[in-house]
Amino acid sequence: MKIRIIDREKITPGDQVLALVFSVLAGLFVIGLIFLAFGVNPFFAIGKIFAGSFGSIYGFKETVTKAIPLILIGVGLAIAFRAKFWNIGAEGQLLMGAIFGTWVGLNWGPHLPAPVIIPLMFLAGFIGGAIWGLIPAFFKIKFAINEVISTLMMNYICAEILIFLIVGPWKGKTKFGFPYTDDLPASAILALIPGSRIHYFTLGLALLTVLVLWMVIYKTRFGYEVREIGENPEAARYAGIDFFKTTLIIMAISGGVAGFAGIGEVAGLHHYLSYPDSISSGYGFTAIIVAWLAKLNPFFVIIAGIFFAGILVGGDAIQISLGLPAATVEIFNGTLLVFLIMGDYFLKHKIRIDFHVRPRTIKHET
Amino acid sequence: MRIIFRMLAVCLCVFLLAGVASAKDDKLKAGFIYVGPVGDYGWSHAHDMGRKFAESKLPWLETVFIESVGEADSARIIDRFIQEQKCDVVFTTSFGYMDDTVKAGIKYPDKHFMHCSGFKQSENVGTYFADLYQMYYLNGLMAGAMTKSDKIGYVAAFPIPELVRHIDAFALGIKAVNPDAKVHVRWIYAWYGPDKAKEAAESLIASGCDTLAFTEDTPAVIEVGQDHSEKGKQIYTFSHYSPMQPYGVDSVVSGQLVDWGVMYVKILQSLHDGTWTKDDLWWLAAEDAAILGGSFDNIVNPKFAAELKAAKVKTAEFGEISAYDLVVKRYEQMKKDTDVFEPFEGPIYDNTGDLKIKKGERASKGDLLSIMYYVDNIVGSIPK
Repeated sequence: MKIRIIDREKITPGDQVLALVFSVLAGLFVIGLIFLAFGVNPFFAIGKIFAGSFGSIYGFKETVTKAIPLILIGVGLAIAFRAKFWNIGAEGQLLMGAIFGTWVGLNWGPHLPAPVIIPLMFLAGFIGGAIWGLIPAFFKIKFAINEVISTLMMNYICAEILIFLIVGPWKGKTKFGFPYTDDLPASAILALIPGSRIHYFTLGLALLTVLVLWMVIYKTRFGYEVREIGENPEAARYAGIDFFKTTLIIMAISGGVAGFAGIGEVAGLHHYLSYPDSISSGYGFTAIIVAWLAKLNPFFVIIAGIFFAGILVGGDAIQISLGLPAATVEIFNGTLLVFLIMGDYFLKHKIRIDFHVRPRTIKHET
Repeated sequence: MRIIFRMLAVCLCVFLLAGVASAKDDKLKAGFIYVGPVGDYGWSHAHDMGRKFAESKLPWLETVFIESVGEADSARIIDRFIQEQKCDVVFTTSFGYMDDTVKAGIKYPDKHFMHCSGFKQSENVGTYFADLYQMYYLNGLMAGAMTKSDKIGYVAAFPIPELVRHIDAFALGIKAVNPDAKVHVRWIYAWYGPDKAKEAAESLIASGCDTLAFTEDTPAVIEVGQDHSEKGKQIYTFSHYSPMQPYGVDSVVSGQLVDWGVMYVKILQSLHDGTWTKDDLWWLAAEDAAILGGSFDNIVNPKFAAELKAAKVKTAEFGEISAYDLVVKRYEQMKKDTDVFEPFEGPIYDNTGDLKIKKGERASKGDLLSIMYYVDNIVGSIPK
């Protein structure tokens, strides 16, 4: 028996859908086995997750709340991944956006009305995230430093900077010694849809970003360059595409929209800076799966973002009603990502197993 | 049209029946929100033991819980407990949940909320806490008597008043028996961080400490102490929050234990009876909420009892007495009432030389809740 791996020459949209459906189903199957190991009926548990996030008004409102940062970051990652720039640093870019935006809100907020201060905070958030995205982009182009490592490490640097600020110079006077900044002034706080925690300004911004980035990727010369760099870098170089400039713009956008997510979370939900894991709950990493599930298409990011937000929110439900440990949701997400990436591999490669390879030794016997 | 009427009639019947049913049973449903995993063997574990104890004692009680809830997510979980699980009362067991708990009180005026370790109360939001500073003082007495290097380490979670109070109480205990010993503190900025706690413990040992106490929700520091003790370098440790002695049979001298069970039973009973008030519940040794020991069996690990009995200390109150007997006597005093003996009795200086509590005066509850200075045998300064 012999196994050969061949590149698939033609990939139709039908193949893509098939690969996606098949990998999600295979992932759910393995997740089901994990539930079985806990002694829980997998259909019941998976049903419970989706009932907990989409099955009630309460759950759905929370799902939309969680989807806001996932959509923003996911669409930014989609554009970076399209150019084969593996940005694993959205978590740090989100935090940097939160830091920049909060600074503006805390310092200028008391003197400015909401229609002025809120756009300024989001602009600052974009700049913060963009700076944090540009640094590894610069290092990659100038010194060929692997961006997977550098963007990942930049997350930790940013988290430490945030801790330094809240423990040190930015520690709030009204927070009883706790390492939090003071609350943002009233004008710098985003309104919520009544009866929910959906900060609709950020939600609107997320949908607008999706629309703009979709147009940029598919309808502009720059978008063509991005796709060309990702799909055929040799040809792109031949065509005279400026790698340096394009990569910098890509990462400014990718980091900047993650920065939007960061300041959106602070101005919409938390109202002050605290520890990195309270500000973000790992959105920068979950959004990687969102971008993959969306096949790097901005519009699909909306669906994938809501889907994963649903898994996060539904995770509470299975914890409360089935008594499963909190780590179940992380296992769920991780397993699904592994299968999505595997699905991608099988989409691009064909595996041929030859069962009837004639053993050469037979000849000697005859 | 007739169908709609019929459906309405059926609905009405169901509602009425449900109303009759709920009026008959006097069940109470309580939701518990934990900041760490219940398997942490520290804070969240202790609360979960309390929840289980209350459920076993109170036949009308039903509970649900959720673990590892980040501070940012508590509002969502409270909503789920009230709206979906129909809880009557929600216990939020981390300081960081305070603001969301108070907001939930406004949002759901006919429900009750109990926030652990906070200081904001309202009509339907109460606070409760079992404080261990007395136990830390007793641990300090033992640490001061046991240390050979006169360098004692403390692995600490966050620089907030609760921790500072505990470190200070520990240091005051040490000072009472061993004025030469100094306390060295390492901050790890995590309630649950076994890796960071291990690193901090190793660094304290490397810098010469032979005795360690800590505030972190796992037995990580104890495991480091046990590891060194097995290899021949005796490290004394003090267990925190849960009975961690089994993790360090050759290292754990004593520790602080908490019994949230008695407190949860009392709170839930008062809610059930309708006698609940929003007053802050601050329980200490006298209420049996704070307990001395690294296990519920002994106040001191039998392995180290002889050593403590041999160590003599001079005290004004009891004359010359063994460290062991001093611990027992002080513990008895604390169990009687807070008035009998108070670790924070002046003169107490901070480590920059300022007199903080005058001779003969005692720290008030307010002082203790906001304390933010190191007493004079602690090295360094609180991160600002």
